[in-house]
Amino acid sequence: MIRLENLTKSYLTLRGRKYVFRNLSLEIPGGANIGLIGRNGAGKSTLMRLLSKVDLPDSGDIITTASLSWPVGLSGGMQSTLTGRDNVKFVCRIHGVRGPLMRKKIEYVQRFAQLGQYFDEPISTYSSGMRARLAFGTSMAFHFDYYLIDEVMAVGDATFKARSRKAFKKRLKKSKVIIVSHSMRLIRRMCDVVVVLENGNATVYDSAEKGIAAYLESGKRYNAQLAKAHRAAKRKQAALAAVGAS
Amino acid sequence: MARTAFQIQRDVIYALLLREMASRFGKTRVGFFWVLLEPVAHLVFPIFMFSYIRHRIVPGIDYPVFLAYGFLPFLMFKAICLQTMDGTRTNRGLLAYRQILLMDVFVAKMLAHCVIQAIVFLVVLTGLAMLGFDVLPPFPLEFGAALVLAIALAFGLGMLFAALTSVAPDARAIIRILFMPLYFASGILFPITRFSNEIVDWLALNPVLHLVELTRLYAVEGYEPMRQLNVMYPLSLALVSLFGGLALYRLRFLSRVTM
Repeated sequence: MIRLENLTKSYLTLRGRKYVFRNLSLEIPGGANIGLIGRNGAGKSTLMRLLSKVDLPDSGDIITTASLSWPVGLSGGMQSTLTGRDNVKFVCRIHGVRGPLMRKKIEYVQRFAQLGQYFDEPISTYSSGMRARLAFGTSMAFHFDYYLIDEVMAVGDATFKARSRKAFKKRLKKSKVIIVSHSMRLIRRMCDVVVVLENGNATVYDSAEKGIAAYLESGKRYNAQLAKAHRAAKRKQAALAAVGAS
Repeated sequence: MARTAFQIQRDVIYALLLREMASRFGKTRVGFFWVLLEPVAHLVFPIFMFSYIRHRIVPGIDYPVFLAYGFLPFLMFKAICLQTMDGTRTNRGLLAYRQILLMDVFVAKMLAHCVIQAIVFLVVLTGLAMLGFDVLPPFPLEFGAALVLAIALAFGLGMLFAALTSVAPDARAIIRILFMPLYFASGILFPITRFSNEIVDWLALNPVLHLVELTRLYAVEGYEPMRQLNVMYPLSLALVSLFGGLALYRLRFLSRVTM
C-alpha cells in the first residue's frame, strides 16, 4: 500500500508560485499495478518524481513499506566519462551490493544490454539506444516491489524490445509497476488500479476500465468547456466589432 | 538485508567517492599527472623568481618551504570550496536514485578533494625533502588542526555558494574569479608582514589569510606570523558558514531550487 498524506508540492515560476498539489491525500491499494493518467500538466510526472524521491514535497508525506525503484530506464544518473561497467558498479554500491553479488549483477547487465566491447568504453561514446539499453538493463538487475516507469518503455531495436519485454514479464511475477502513460492500450494491458489526476486532485479507480472511462469523460467535458469558452470569446469579439462599426 | 540509515549513507558516500576519483583520474594515465601539474607549476615559477633573483625573502626560512605551506593550504581551500559549490550543478542526475541526497554529494566531493589535496601535499613535500629542504612541521597536530579548520570553512562556504548559485547561476563565474585577488590577499608569495601594519589590519579581514598564517606558524620552523593572527576569527566564520549552509539545506532550499 502507498499512502499520500497531505501532500503539497509547488514550484516557483517567474509568475509566482504554482501549486501542483495542495493537501493531496490518497491511498493506493497494495499488490496492484498502478497507472497514473491525466492531461498534460496534471501532475503525473511530478507525482512520479515525488514517489521516486527525486524531488521532495513542500509538506506532507508519502508512506509505504514497499521498495520503489528509481525511474526505469533512467540514464541521467550515469556519468558519461565512466564506462558502462563502472556505472553499473556505482549503482550496485549505492544499493549495498558488493563482492560476488556485484559480479553477478554486472554479468546480468552485460548479457542483457549486449553492448559488446562498448561495455568497457566511456558512456560518452554510446549511441542513445545503447545508453537506454544499459539503463534498462541496470534497472532490471535489481529487485524492487514497484518499478516506476515514466511513459516510454520500449527502447532499442526489435530484438532488444522482445528481450526487455521478456525480462520485465519475469520481474512482474513478483513485483508491481507504477506507470505514467498517455497510451490507454498500455494502461489497459498492465494496470489493475488507475489514478486519474486532474486539477491537483487524484481519484483512485479499482479497475483500469473505470479509470480510463472517467479520464476520457473528463477529457470530453474539458474539451466542451474549451469550445464553449472559445464560442463566448468569438461572440464578444463580434459584438465589439458591431459596436465599432456603428 | 535491509540496511540502516547509517549504512546506506556510508555506502552512498563511498560509491560517490570512488566515482569522483574514477572520473577525475579516469582511465587515462595523464589524469593524475594533470592534478599535480597545477600546484607544481604554481610553486616552481615563484620559487625561481624569488629565491634566485632576490635572495632570502624570508629571513631564516627556506623560501620553497615557506611558499609550499602557504600555497598548498590555499589550493586545498579553493578546491574544496569550488567543488562543493559545483556539487549541485554537475550531479543533478544522481538525485534520481532515492538513496542519494544532495548532502551525500557535498560530503563525497569534499572528502574526494581532501584525499586528492593530501596526495598533492605529500608529493610536493616529498619532492622538497628530496631536494634537501627541511619540510617536517614542528607542530604536526596543530598543523593538522589548522588544515581541518581550512576544510571546515571551505565546506561551509561551498554550501553557501551552492545555495547562491542555484538562485543566481551567474554568481558562479564571479566567485571563481574572486579567488584570484584572494590569492594575492592571502600572503602566499611573500610574508604579509611586508606590508605596513595599517594595511595588514585591513587584510586581516580575509579569513584565508588567517588560515595561511596559521598553517605556516605550525608547519614552518621559526616563522613569525602577523600580529593580527587570531584563530577565533576563521573558526567562528567556519562555524557560521557551516551552520548557514546546513540551515539552508535543512530548509530544503537547495534540494528544491536545484531541481
